[in-house]
Amino acid sequence: MSAVAEQRAGSVGSVGSVVEQLRERIRALQAAPRRYLAVLRTGMEAVDALLPSGGFPMGQAVELCGEAASGRTSLALRAVAAAHREQRLCAWVDGPRELYPPAASALGVDLERLLIVRPKAPEQRVWAAVQLARSGAFACVVLDLTRGVGATGRIPRVALAEARKLADAAERGGGLLLVLTSPESPADGVMRLRTEARDGEGWSVEVVRSRQGGTGARAELPWSVLYPDLGLEDGGRVLDVAETAADATPDFLREQGSALRNGCGILGQRPGRDAPMPSLREGLDSAGVAL
Amino acid sequence: MRRAYLHFTRFPVQRKVIEVPELASRPFALVEEVRGQRRVAFASTTALKAGVRPGMTLTAATALEPVLRHFPYRPEDETRALTALGEALMGLAPGFQLRAPDGLWLDAGAAHLVGGEEQLAAQALEVCAEQGYRAHAVVASEAFTSRALARYGTRRVEVVPPGEGARELAPLPLAALEGPEGAAFSALGLSTLGEVAALPVAAVTARGGVAGARAHARCRGEDDTPFVAQVLEEVLEERVVLDWPADSFEPLRFALKTLTDRLGARLAGRRRAAVRLTFTLKLDPTGQARVPLTLARPTSQAKLLLDLARHRLEEQRLENPVAEVSVRVDEHSEDRGQQLALGDAPEGDAALEVVLSRLVTTLGEESLFAAGLETVHRPEAAHGTRAFRPPERKRGLAVDALDAGGSGAAAESDEVQPLSLVGRERPARLLASPAWLDAEVAESGRLLAARLGGKRHRVTALAGPERLGGEWWSDTPYQRDYYRVHFEGLGPAWVFRDARDGRFYLQGLFD
Repeated sequence: MSAVAEQRAGSVGSVGSVVEQLRERIRALQAAPRRYLAVLRTGMEAVDALLPSGGFPMGQAVELCGEAASGRTSLALRAVAAAHREQRLCAWVDGPRELYPPAASALGVDLERLLIVRPKAPEQRVWAAVQLARSGAFACVVLDLTRGVGATGRIPRVALAEARKLADAAERGGGLLLVLTSPESPADGVMRLRTEARDGEGWSVEVVRSRQGGTGARAELPWSVLYPDLGLEDGGRVLDVAETAADATPDFLREQGSALRNGCGILGQRPGRDAPMPSLREGLDSAGVAL
Repeated sequence: MRRAYLHFTRFPVQRKVIEVPELASRPFALVEEVRGQRRVAFASTTALKAGVRPGMTLTAATALEPVLRHFPYRPEDETRALTALGEALMGLAPGFQLRAPDGLWLDAGAAHLVGGEEQLAAQALEVCAEQGYRAHAVVASEAFTSRALARYGTRRVEVVPPGEGARELAPLPLAALEGPEGAAFSALGLSTLGEVAALPVAAVTARGGVAGARAHARCRGEDDTPFVAQVLEEVLEERVVLDWPADSFEPLRFALKTLTDRLGARLAGRRRAAVRLTFTLKLDPTGQARVPLTLARPTSQAKLLLDLARHRLEEQRLENPVAEVSVRVDEHSEDRGQQLALGDAPEGDAALEVVLSRLVTTLGEESLFAAGLETVHRPEAAHGTRAFRPPERKRGLAVDALDAGGSGAAAESDEVQPLSLVGRERPARLLASPAWLDAEVAESGRLLAARLGGKRHRVTALAGPERLGGEWWSDTPYQRDYYRVHFEGLGPAWVFRDARDGRFYLQGLFD
């Protein structure tokens, strides 16, 4: 009987200590300051140092303007990854339908927390971005207004009224709105960063327009910062590979009429080889090696 | 059997005020046609104070109160509203029985699940208050006892123990009998139910017959009226007929609020969440407009449904005024509710649902998705689309648990490592289908330059190849040598030479 009573007393004591621990934890939680996300850092010190607030500022619209392959998308993806590290949601309004999720995932983007929106009509892109940014549910909304590589026609320039709408939406929602544009159709009225691909060695980013100052600041970085495995330094490395002798394509599927080498080659011959490579077997025979 | 009766004082008046809030504390009456005359069926408190009484002709009532507004009384609408209220209460009771037009019985057999009969009555009143209704609740063993006490009793919540009915009923007036028997007893000089109960049974039966005996038994706290639970409708549908055709959105807004409130309460009572809804607008004199609404996340929240309905219907262009609005739930699912953590604010999640639903309704369901990785080597097929269901954000106490399990998280990241290593060699932008490259190739087969968008871009750096091939077992095999190429004036790109035709194709941009 006494043993049961002791056991009961022990269990009551352990429950009491657990309750005490929980109380202590709640007290600590209440005392701790709320983690408030004010900027999204790209993780590249040179780029973060260019921006007046030390990163992409929340509650604002920022334009990343540059040529087709100048590092805009990677910069935006790094901002998204920074938001995902804080377990916040992000959205990507993918106008040209070109975002490649495996690459985004490699940059630290949590694909489950990234909403991809692909509106059918081009005029719905800005509307969708405004809705997403204004809701306040997303820490970072990326609006891709560039033209796809194969697309024809011009993308209309983002008008001042639309830019104001975007900036208002970002301010009301408290998230970051990144607008990706190309130099032929830039956006007006928002902070602009211009990215430029210089050569195989590196790329540059420059603050072109900013109300908080820092205009004209420029940073030059190597490509390895964005893509560590790009391997284009010093002209790149080319592996001399043999022809794929055993082409996996069955004969009946091979395109017979398309042997023209990009329209300017020799009929029926693979590029890179004027004549077939001498067989290894012949050399071995002449050397008297028995196979 | 224990049952709870909820009595809503002048239910049609309450309903009218909820639907048209501007009528609050204004004189108005609900009018029905009796033998060619329009007579007052129900009057608001202000109208009653002015002397308007039910049964009075509309002309007489208007003479008493010149600013009296009147609306047609439709009993079927009241029944529908009462049914919706009963369904909303099904979270507390397994069944309900209507007593049109101003009350309903609840099966109080499961009262112990909510902490007792008093708790059940109090919680039922809370649910009604959320809908905007004021009521009295009485729990008793007999139908008559509960109804009479709710109508004529003084307390808002009362529980009558079994066998105590007669004692509780004794002080009530004869009007509680609700029939010709009351008048007969009154003629005998009786005034309360207690006095009727004190009469000898044989004498009452001899004079009043079966009806008299029944009334006498009820006054003694005996009633064998069975409880017949209302059969639930299979299709969840709500309808509001507007008093006059609406040619602007403002009157529709009130109707929509009524509809979504009722629908939300019914869904919540059934523990269901709407997935797909259809709004039907009946136009005056002819015409109909149907507006479907698909929800990204199933919900039974009336406020959210109203927001979405408003957004969808505001944009409608109709040729005629709207006479009637109805909504039907085409598809519903189980309502799992939302588990909130300590210190959680549900506003963020609600905002997410609103914006998702809004985008889905405008852009189409296929325009919104989250990406997922596939175990496929072909680059353009290495990702798929799936529904956007973000994992719950870890907050409050859960964060500590996450920090404590840091070693586990590190192990997980190790598993992901091989995949991300391959991903690091991939471009951020990938063309949906590879584009043929207008390329200049040296005799050695090396890529020298390419024309893109009408401009010639010289190759300044080249790395590769990375040979990818496979799917020879299918109809679309591929064999490609991938190169990372830096084009002058453009930037690094991902091109491949297809072994099938020897041509160069552009597949992505390292943007």
